[in-house]
Formats: sequence, structure tokens, C-alpha cells
Amino acid sequence: MHLAVCIKYIPDPEAAFSMFSIDEAAKKVVPASGLKHVVSPFDEQAIEAALRIREAHAGTRITVITFGNELSRNALKHGLAMGADDGVLLSDAAFDDGDSYTTASVLSAALKKLGVIDLVLTGRQAADGDAGIVGAGIAELLDRPLLTFAKSVAIENSVVRVERVLEDGTETLETDLPAVVTVSNEIGAPRAPSLRETMRAARKPVQMWKAADLGLDAAMVGAAGARSVREKLFAPSKTVQCEFIEAVTPEKQGARLAARLREAKVV
Amino acid sequence: MARPEIEGDWVMGWPDRKRAAIAAGKDAQGRVINGRSPVTQLEGLLTPTDAYYVVNQLEVPEPIHPDDWVLQIGGLVERPFEMSLKDLMKFPGRTVRAVTECAGNDAGFFDYQQRKAKKPSRINQQDMQARAAQRETNAVPSSDAISNESTTTCAVSAGEFTGVPLAEVLKKAGIKPGAVSVRFRGFDRGQPDLAVQYRSVGRSDFKLVDPGVINYEKGMPMVKALHPDTLLAWSMNGEWLTHIHGAPVRVVTPGWSGNWWVKWLEQIEVLDHLPQCYYQHHYFTYGEGPDDPKKEMITSMGVRCIILNPLDEDSPLERGSHKVQGRAWSGMGMIKRVEVSVDSGKTWHDAHLEEPVERWLWVRWSWLWEVDKPGQYQIMARATDETGRVQPQIPWNYQRKHFDGIVPTDVTVE
Repeated sequence: MHLAVCIKYIPDPEAAFSMFSIDEAAKKVVPASGLKHVVSPFDEQAIEAALRIREAHAGTRITVITFGNELSRNALKHGLAMGADDGVLLSDAAFDDGDSYTTASVLSAALKKLGVIDLVLTGRQAADGDAGIVGAGIAELLDRPLLTFAKSVAIENSVVRVERVLEDGTETLETDLPAVVTVSNEIGAPRAPSLRETMRAARKPVQMWKAADLGLDAAMVGAAGARSVREKLFAPSKTVQCEFIEAVTPEKQGARLAARLREAKVV
Repeated sequence: MARPEIEGDWVMGWPDRKRAAIAAGKDAQGRVINGRSPVTQLEGLLTPTDAYYVVNQLEVPEPIHPDDWVLQIGGLVERPFEMSLKDLMKFPGRTVRAVTECAGNDAGFFDYQQRKAKKPSRINQQDMQARAAQRETNAVPSSDAISNESTTTCAVSAGEFTGVPLAEVLKKAGIKPGAVSVRFRGFDRGQPDLAVQYRSVGRSDFKLVDPGVINYEKGMPMVKALHPDTLLAWSMNGEWLTHIHGAPVRVVTPGWSGNWWVKWLEQIEVLDHLPQCYYQHHYFTYGEGPDDPKKEMITSMGVRCIILNPLDEDSPLERGSHKVQGRAWSGMGMIKRVEVSVDSGKTWHDAHLEEPVERWLWVRWSWLWEVDKPGQYQIMARATDETGRVQPQIPWNYQRKHFDGIVPTDVTVE
């Protein structure tokens, strides 16, 4: 069985807001230089789901795929150190400034090039953009069934069974392989890379593919192929007004405060 | 007033003297790939691991987990076999304390003595980061650039190594008659760094043999391979060998320069001839020039003695008493005598050899100098080893290997 996990290398989502600035002209969020990058935590959990499947099915191969610049190799290293078998880096200047659609297109092309992938796993969304579109896009473009928000993933007799997180509970869904599953944080903490796997990771094969390797025309990817338009990017301005409620006694002060809050329709 | 040379470290929560560390060069990922030892800052006989010099000919390989490491023993043996680190550690062990010295350590003093080139310093280290950056890009400096660089010092350290005598492992394999050498292969691999080799010669206006991508290898004559102090070591300075020093297992060949101490060992092969390993026959050699047909491979170090106090940089000195001190070592045995001269070599005085004096380790020596007369002084020191060898032993050679000349400290007394 061959599993593929699509992962994204993102600015540390735990970083303070002050570590980011907004370039309104370029319509981009700019992280501070030197800001630590990590594998999107939901994607780490997708790797964890794949590793658990392999523990139940010996001989399963896990390929981690990422999309980005050379620094994104670190994401692959992390996935390989967690236990994946090989990696693919999709990197090309032509991929820059794309959207969720072009990302899903490029990943789908790479997954096709890898051959028969029984199950594609992704995080339920990337922890930077939080759009949650790419997983569904891959399923659409590969014409595979999609199961989302998985808190557990199991495979038996070429059927994948998923416990899907709902607002007020879970539901269990099944579909035939090949399929696409997006993994939610309820699956539990991903394993930390061991020393042995970290050392082995450096020797695991990593391929780098550009648009041409995937048979993609430059017009189909990056800014040229994007289907969404970012009209404006800005930080909403916050204004704070402070009003002191004064009165002769504390009791009257309280009553006035209550009246003021009612007036402002806060209570 | 703050003294920058000792300010800096908190050790286990307490304010403490700055810990000595190598002057390092790092790769793009911040990993050390070379380093010079701060020999003037160190006390005692063993160099702390963080301060141990680092020289690699090829690229530093990715680490192998000790549980994944396998050593192959084959060639001209009765019973070729493979073993894990756990298997290796079952052999009777041995600990050796020895100096590790790069063959090119202090090479610049050859030029200082022969051509009156700039005197190398043991304090002002080379810019190892610049060299590391050069390694990343495979850049080759021009002859002019090389001659303007400060030259190699401080590529020497001493450590305690624990492992298994190679002889024990070869005994298990059963050496067949006709064995001449043992070839060690490390899992470090790459294309030789031309900059290092040109720098060694001091110019870059000639062609080098290009072997392509190779593993680091050395072919050791049987006599040295079977010496009981030639070890396959997994421990250094009381702890597990670190990756940058050759983990899981490196070769330890006391008395022979660092290029013989093959790191990241993965294969041992007994041969009926001396193999033509690239570095052994094209780089770590004595010879008159690149085209010299009579180049010889280098083996034992000469007799070394360095003055660590006072240094040129300490000048001017006050009148009064000064402890002249340093270290001495030899590639062929214990140091028996160190003599000091403060009149440019006209008269010599026996220095005190501080215990312990061991066969492969360096010895601390000292001599108390009472000086009342202002003036210029040349302080010299020379060592004699137990085989009777007196400095200097190694003549100039075009690769400038194994310098062991007598280098005076030049000071003014006011």
C-alpha cells in the first residue's frame, strides 16, 4: 500500500501577531525575518495517521509531499524523521503567488506522477491560511472520494474507515480506496522524531519536481493559474473608547454603569 | 575591569570563566565542519571535546545511528565478517591518551623560517567561517589570496580514547599469510576540496589530480595496524564519540598524524599490497613538488615543542620572573627532555617536565626565567624524545606537512 501525505511548511502558528506585518500594496502577510517555520500541526497529525496505518499494515510506503521553496525541505526532513519513507519537494518560481486551486492542481499532478496512491492524507486545513480547501481540491482533481475532519483512520480490505468530527459528536464513514482523507487535531499528538529516525531521515530519498516535470504549463500554476483574486489585505483598525462612570456613592455608580451597558446593548 | 578572555559563561547556574571552544566554521545549516583549538587558553593535558580541533578532507557525512552501524571486515582474512557496535564492544577494550595533530598544523612556520613570511599566530585564528563558505561553493582561492591568508595553527589537541585494539578484531578474522596493509574506509564521501590542497602548498597555480567522488580511505602498513595502541574507538574524553569526531567508530593511531585517524569507519580490508588511496598518495606526502616522482606517504609525527607562555602577543614584558612554559610531544615515543634558551639558542637550560609523562600524550614543561636586563629576547625551546630524536626532524616539503621546527617567541623586556 502506498500512502501520500501532503504537508505545508508555515510560520510558527504560536508566534505572536507582532511577528507579522501586512504589505497592503503587495497584498501579502510578511513574517519577521528569522521567524521559525514548522510543519503545519494538522499536517503533522496527517503524518501520524499514516504512520498508524503502516503499523497495522507492514510494508506500507509513506511519501511526504510539500510545496514551496528550498526551505520547505525542512518540512520533508521532519516528516521523514517522524518515519515517512521518501519525500517530494515541489518547487518552482512559477508556483509563486498561486491560490488553493493551483496548490491542489500541482499536488494532484505530483500524486499522479507518483503512480497508484491508495490513500492521500492532508491536514484538515493549513494553520496559517486556515482555508481548508486544498484537501478537497485534490480529491476533486483526482476524482477520488473525500472524507474530512478525521479523528481516526483505519484501512481494512481496501476500505478506509474514518471517524469524522462533527460539532456535537462524530460520525463514521467508509469508502473504497483510493481516497482522500483530511485529518483533524482530535487524532491526537503526533509522535516526536526519534534520534534513530532523525539520523536515517538524511539518507531517505527526496525528489524535487518543477512544473515541467509534472507536465504543467506555467500558465496553469502560480499567479497565472489562480482562480481567486485577493482584492484587499489589511489589518482591521481597532478604536477603543474609555468612559468613566462617576457617582456620589458606589451603589449609584453601579446603577449608572448597568444603565449605560443596557443603553449600549452590551447586556 | 572585565577581562574578555575569561568573561562569558554561566556553568550549571554559576558565573564562571568562559569555557574554551573551537574557532569554528559552519555549513549553511549551522553545523560545524571545521575548527581550530584554542591551545593558548587550555590547562591540563586533555583537550575538552568542545575545544578539540576539527579537520575533514571530504564532506561531513550524515550521522548513522549506533544501532544501524555495521562494520565490514574482509580481504585477506580467513573469516570475513560484519559486526555491530555492540559486537565490537564485546572485544577486550583499551584506553589510550594521545595527541591528535593535523599533518598541516603549523605549516606556515615552514615559510616563516624559509622565506621570512609572516609569522603565524596561535591567538589570531584563521577565519574558519570564510573557509567553510568556500567549501560550500567549491571556490578555489588564487595564489595571492592564499599567500595573504593567515596560516594553519591550532590544529592539534589531545584526548583519551577508548575502544578495541584493531589487532583483536583482525585476530578474530584470521589474517592470511602475505598481508601487507589494512585499508580503512570511512563513510564520509565527496570530491576533494581543492582549496584545502592548494592552501597546503601555499599556491594554486598548478593542476591537481581529480579522483572524482570518493570515500575517505587510508592504507595502513601491517606493523602499525597490529600495534596494541591502534584502536577502533567509540569513546573520547570519557563520553561517547561525537559525530563530528567520527562516531560511531573512528580509528586511533597514536603517533601518526590526524589523517590516519580515519573517522566514520565502515569497512576494514586486509590487503597484500599498499593501496593507492587518493589522499595517502597525492596529498599527505613528503616531496619536493607536485611532480616529484619520489613522493613518500607521511606517517609518524616529528618531535614537537611549542611555547604557550610567553607569546609574541604578550610583549612587552616587565622585568622580573616569568614562567616560560609549553607543551612537547613526539610521534615516536615519550618526551625525555625539553631545553629552553633565552639568548637565541646560544645556551640551553633543562626545563621541568610536569608529571605525568606518557608515551603518546603531550607533556607540560616549564622553566622559570629571571630577567633583569631590558632588551629584545628570543625565547626558544626544543624537545628530545625517548628514541633520541631532537627537534627539528622534518625537512621542508612542498605540502608543508609535519612541521616540527624550533620557533622562537620574540619579546621585548622593558
